[in-house]
Order: sequence, then C-alpha cells, then structure tokens
Amino acid sequence: MTPRELRLNAFANRFDGYTELRAQCNAQTSIIMLNGDVTGNVRSSSSGISARVFKDGVWGFAARPALSEEETLAVIADATRNARFLAGRAGRGIHTLPADRALHEVDFTTRKERKTRAQVLDFLRELDGLIHARYPDLKSRVVQLADLDMEKRLFNSDGSDAYSFVARSLVIVNLAYEDDAGRPVALYKAFGGRGQFEDVFAAPAELMEKVDVLHRHLLDKKDGVSARAGVHDVVMDSELAGILAHEAIGHTTEADLVQEGSVAGDRVGQQVASALVSMVDFAHTHDGETLPVPVYVDDEGVAAKDTWLIKDGVLQGFMHNKESAEHFAEDMTGNARAYQFFDEPLIRMRNTAILPGKDRLEDMIASVEDGYYLMWPSNGQADTTSEFMFGISLGYEIKNGRLGRAITDTAISGVAFDMLKTVTMVSDEMNWGCAGMCGKKQIIPVGMGGPAIKCRIHIGGE
Amino acid sequence: MQDPIGYSLQRMQERGFDKAQVLRDDHEKAELQIEFNQPSLLRSAKNTALMLTGVTQDKEGTLSVNRQTAQAIDEAVDALWESALASLPDPANDIAKAQPAQSFTSGEREPDLATMYDRLDEFLVHCGQHYPSVTLGSFNISHVRSVRTIANSNGVSLKSERGYYSVMSMFTAKEGTDVSSFNFTAVSLANLNRPIARTATVERLLKSAVEQIRTRKIPHKFTGALIITPDCLGAFIAFLLDSISGPPLIAKTSKYRDKLGTQVAYPGLSIRTEPLDRPGGFHLTDDGYPATNDTIVEKGVLKTFLLNHYASRKLAMPRVSTGAVYVVDSGDVSFAQMVSGVDEGVIIGRFSGGQPNANGDFSGVAKNSYYVKDGEIQYPIAETMVSGNMVDLLLNINAISRERADFGTQSYPWIRTRGVVVS
Repeated sequence: MTPRELRLNAFANRFDGYTELRAQCNAQTSIIMLNGDVTGNVRSSSSGISARVFKDGVWGFAARPALSEEETLAVIADATRNARFLAGRAGRGIHTLPADRALHEVDFTTRKERKTRAQVLDFLRELDGLIHARYPDLKSRVVQLADLDMEKRLFNSDGSDAYSFVARSLVIVNLAYEDDAGRPVALYKAFGGRGQFEDVFAAPAELMEKVDVLHRHLLDKKDGVSARAGVHDVVMDSELAGILAHEAIGHTTEADLVQEGSVAGDRVGQQVASALVSMVDFAHTHDGETLPVPVYVDDEGVAAKDTWLIKDGVLQGFMHNKESAEHFAEDMTGNARAYQFFDEPLIRMRNTAILPGKDRLEDMIASVEDGYYLMWPSNGQADTTSEFMFGISLGYEIKNGRLGRAITDTAISGVAFDMLKTVTMVSDEMNWGCAGMCGKKQIIPVGMGGPAIKCRIHIGGE
Repeated sequence: MQDPIGYSLQRMQERGFDKAQVLRDDHEKAELQIEFNQPSLLRSAKNTALMLTGVTQDKEGTLSVNRQTAQAIDEAVDALWESALASLPDPANDIAKAQPAQSFTSGEREPDLATMYDRLDEFLVHCGQHYPSVTLGSFNISHVRSVRTIANSNGVSLKSERGYYSVMSMFTAKEGTDVSSFNFTAVSLANLNRPIARTATVERLLKSAVEQIRTRKIPHKFTGALIITPDCLGAFIAFLLDSISGPPLIAKTSKYRDKLGTQVAYPGLSIRTEPLDRPGGFHLTDDGYPATNDTIVEKGVLKTFLLNHYASRKLAMPRVSTGAVYVVDSGDVSFAQMVSGVDEGVIIGRFSGGQPNANGDFSGVAKNSYYVKDGEIQYPIAETMVSGNMVDLLLNINAISRERADFGTQSYPWIRTRGVVVS
C-alpha cells in the first residue's frame, strides 16, 4: 500500500481530540563515482504512518513502519495513550488549536518514462568520462547522484486532506588539484533541482558547460590567496543570497526560536535592514514559477501561504505552526513540516528569499575599491542573537572595482540586524537554489533564493 | 514474516548474487520532550530497516527497505539485482569474511517512563530555581532499544541488542532584550541514576548561558591561544578523523595519507575509539564485523587509518572498526593552570564554522566563548572569528587538562593550542 492509497479519512471516528494522521514514504538514491570507481550504489526507502494527538496543551505522538489499516489504528491508540499520559502529569488546560481545513493534491512524479538503473549509471559514467577526458590532470574527481522523493498523505480532525509527491535530483561534482606546494585544493558544485531525474537531467554533455565553469574557478582557487581577516566591503553573488536569507534572518524569525528568545521577537515593526532589503518565505510559487520546495498544505493540514519577513527593511512577522500562531495570536502560515514518517512537524522554512533590486552586478563590483566578491557558499549556521555564519568555497578579491585573485576557503559572519543595515546595493537578478538541506533536530530540504547584495561583513582568514 | 533475513539471503542467492549480506536494524524509541520550559510531547516510535548488499561479477549494490513482507523482499531483491548489474566491477567489492557467530547485549531493554518523567521534571525545577533566565527551547530524554542482526553468504551470523538513554538539550538565556547565543549538548546514559544537571557539562553550560547574555567584542585582532572545551573538541579533531577514513585516502587527497606512524599531534595527545565500553557505543559495525576498541593516535603518533572492509581492500591495508565513539586521554594540568598560562587567547565553547578545506584551513565564529588576557578570563565575547589550520592546530597543542567531560558517547578533556588568528 502507498501513502496515496491509504484512506486516512476513514479513521476519523477513532480520534479523541485534535488528531493528525500522516502516511509517508521517502525514497532516496545515492551513487558515488570516485575517480571512475563506483564507491557507493545505494537505494533506500522508508515508509510508515504516524499519529499526533493534542490533549490539554500537550502532544502524544506515535509512529510505525507500515502502511496498513491495522497499523494506522495502532498508532492512533499509541498516540492517544501518550497524550493522556503526559496530560495527566503536565496538562496545561489548553483544549483547542487554531483550525484550518485544506484540501489539496499535488504530484510532481515525472510523466516521462523512468530511466533504468543502467541508464542512470551510464549517465554518471559518461559525465565522469567527459570530465576525465577534458581534465586528465585532476588529482581527484567525484561525481555523485543524490535524489530524494517525498510522498505524503495527511488527514486531520479539522478535515484537512492533502496529498503531495515532491522530488529533487542533484548531481554533485567535486574536483580537486594539488597546488604548487602539494596542498589539496578542491571545489564542488551541485547541479539539478526539483523533480525526478528524468525531468531534471537530459544529456551529460549538457552539464559540461557548468563543469567547465567549476573547473575554471578551481584553477583560479589553486593559485588563490587567504582572505584578510576583518570587516570588508563585499559583493555577495546571487548564489549566496539564499543562504544569507536562510541563516541570517530566516531562522531568527521561526516562531519557535522567537519563543526561545530570538532577538527578532522584540523587533517587529522596527527597521532591521536597509530599506533596499525585502524578504519572504514563499510557500510554493514566485513570479509564476513553482519553487524548489513547494508546500501547498503543511504537515498540520494548514494551507501554506507566503510569509513576509522583512518589507523595505522593516521586520514584519514570524513563520508559524498552529501552536505558535495561537501563542502570538497571529495567522497560521503553513510552515510545519516533518522529514520522516516518525518525525513530528516543526516550524521550518520553505523557499526563503531576498527580493531583487535594481542594480547591475557589474556596477556593484565596480563600486568596491578594496574588498571581496563572494560567490559560492558551503555550510551555514544561525543563532538566536542573529549572529550568523556561513562558509565560502569560492570568492575573489576586488581591487579598484575589478576582480583580482581567487581566495581560499573561508567563512563570513555578522549580526544580521546590523549587517543588513549596511546593504547599499541589490542586484536585479533572482537566483533560486534547490540543494539546501536544513538541520534543526530533523533535516529537511529547503529552497533559497535572492539577488546579489553589496554590504560590509566580517571575513575569517589570515 | 518469521525470518526475513534468512528469506532475503535465500532470494538473493537464487537471484544469482555471488555474495549476499543482510543487515537488519530494529529501533524502538520512547521520548519525552520539553519546549519552552514545559513538557510538550511523548513519543513512541518504531522503525526497522533491512539493508541488502549483493555482489555479482565484482559489481555491488545496496538497497534498504523498511518493509519485511515476502513481497517487499522479492521486489527489493529484483531492484537490487538491477542496481548491481548496472554498476561497475571493482575487485574491492565484498561482504564480511567468515567469522564465529556471536551475540551481544547491553543496557536496559525497556524504558522506565516514570523515571524519565521524574528526571525531566526535576531538571525543569532545577533550571527554574537556578537559571530563571534560561529557556529550554528543546529538551528531550529518550530511551532507545536497538537490535542489529547481520548475516551473509559467508556464514556470518551476528546479533546485538542495546538499550540506552539519551538526553539532548538546546537552550538560550535572555534578560530584557539581551539574549545569549543558543547552546546545546547531548549525552548518552546507561541509566537514569543521576540528575540530568549532573551529567557531562550540562550545569556548566547553563551557567555559561547566563554569563553570555551580555557580551563584548575582543579589543583587537591578534594571534594567540585557543582553549577548546570538551563541548566543541569534536569539531577540532574531526578533520583528522575524516582525513584518515576511506574516501579521502582512496582519492589521495588526504593530508594524512603518508603520515601513518609519524607525529601528527602534540606528544601528549592520544585519541581512541571505544565503541564497546560506552553507553553511546555499538557492538557491530555497518560492514558486518564485531566492533573493537582501537588506538588511533598514541602520544601524538598516528597509529592507524579508519578503514571499512571496502576501503581496506581498495588500499590493501588493515581494516579497523569505524564509528564516532572517540575518547581523548586526559592530560596533566588543571583547567585553571591551563588558563593561567595564556598571554592572550580565547576559550571556545562552541565552534560555528565553515567546513575546513581539504588542506585543513578553517574559519568560524567562536560562540559561547570567553576572552583571556594575562592568565585570567576577562569577559564573554561575541562577533569573534577564529581562523587557522587543523593540521597545525593539533601539532601546536601545548596543554591537556586532567579534567574530562564524559558525554556517554565521547569523552574529552580541555585542550590548549596556539597560533590561532582571532579577529
């Protein structure tokens, strides 16, 4: 039985208080080719059913690894028993949550004929062969396929009934040389995005143009210099804006972090950024395009809507689940999401973006006398203080308005509500990234986007 | 199904695999959660995974499913056959060698829910009394029962059954509009005999959170000492441990690929893996062998690489049990002596950093940290970055504390190193 086939609404008469049922299947593929050898060739699927029951202000949750009527009844009974246990000891006397009734189905399953495993392996092998033929002096090359299909069916006691099948497919290419001193220098890039393999990738040769760009930057980085530690004028490329939006502001405006003490909690209605900065956590669509991680109905059965976080530099509000919306007396936003069937929904970002401005990237770089052009990010982290950090895998010096030498890997940091006030230019581009995986108790795919930004920021280095 | 492992092996061999291995993991978790200083959720969750690895004509595939009906296994074996056939031949592909059947047990099989709740409630009261400005954003006590079974066509038959508790806490302190950086810790426990506040570094971190509500910037950029707390030592030895694992050694990009038997760290530094003796440990490895305790670095000398069965065959080097259960030996100075020997430096409580590059260069923010000058702790700091090189950092260690913090999985002392750029 699949999540789609399980008729969850048939169990409504078993509910005692607010109850959610979620049937889910995550299917993943990971294939790793290292210097032409297949060092990993793994497929996995994990499916099951969960129930969450609200009683007197506390939750009971239960999950089992099967999709059947029998197991659905079992998790309802387990979750109800758990809710009663906790309510008996720590009940808060809160009996209701805000309600929404959302009915929606969305299916991003490819309409094309599925490729066989041999065809997928052939694609990777051909891509690896093209890279090896064109760049035989590489010290190492890794070509990796990482795809994830998430299928969910949700039903709750508000009457919400939603089905979704959302996929992402990524090919990650990691190339390495040794520099003149024998030190390894590496650079990677993830290609791909929303959709199953057949909808995302055509021919390996089509990826080579992007691999050529990766390789050219790697050669620059091989001769790169360390950044000078300290605060500098920088232009952050549009490929960086998404992680800036996610780490610098996004996390601090998740309502659960606000309840924990995030500085954003005291700043709603205040100017927290340059008037050039506006930021939205989009639910599923922007500018007529379906976004990398489209959420139409969240895992609490709430219709997902766009959430304005910053408008013209002024902090607008927070991302919510049912409980936080009740706590802050605000509208629900549909940000409650769970990664696996055995996870409870948490407040998570969906597609978080800084909105584009009117400047041209070339003019932004030309306006910097002595600084850096930061292009590609690696990992990042947020904080309740709004002091964020993320790694920089690719960047260049800017000297007198022109690009100079590449820099080696570094990290940047800043207090978001101070740093965003230093933004003086915002480019007219909009670049969406679909490779993001956010960690907050559970991991979950996120979309991130934005334009290039000129600001002042703290760079680590020598 | 009575015997999904036996059925899977039979089906894989019937399908034509030369070598077949099955690993089954069954998990049951009971978890009590706190959100914002109030009990919020009780979870009971079960999961299972059946991981099939098959090799045919030196081509390998692995497939994991969490359904164990005959139909699900039949479908999985067919899909695995397709995956393996599509792969490339590699003589290093293999399954675990024949070995005597063994079984292992440890810990409490069933959760003691009443005690879990009592410890949770006791911790809430403790925090409320002693740290009223602290908000426990997310706190949980879990009991996990884990059963792992491994069998293969070489006759391997291994089983382990473990029960353990774990505590995870994430918290922030706030007074008025001043707020600390968040901090977190995780501890694995064999039982709940002690109050949570007395485990690992929990009490010290809560105290530090309150101190970190009001921070200052460092007075100037300098190159100086870094005292690494047990809470974030893992971030500073991870580069070494990752670099001596299979993928970077096979790719020949590891900084340590020719360092076996040589000095890679301060002569007082010893790092061991002890999966057998710790609540957060394990009995069986993912590649199908009983776990072993091993010495990785002895008095600063690299004693072994961490290679699984595939990597050991690929590199023609010995296989060594792998898994992140690390212990760093304690040293011979007190933490107070360690601080008193610092001209200028930082005590780092949490490292929020970018991933070091392949050369070991790192940069990141020193969170929950303190400025040290003339042998004394001066004040909590913010907006401070530390930069350096992970290889040099281990060689530049000049003191290791007598005191250690035991997290149940890892056990780490305080370590002092030098030559780190602080800006």
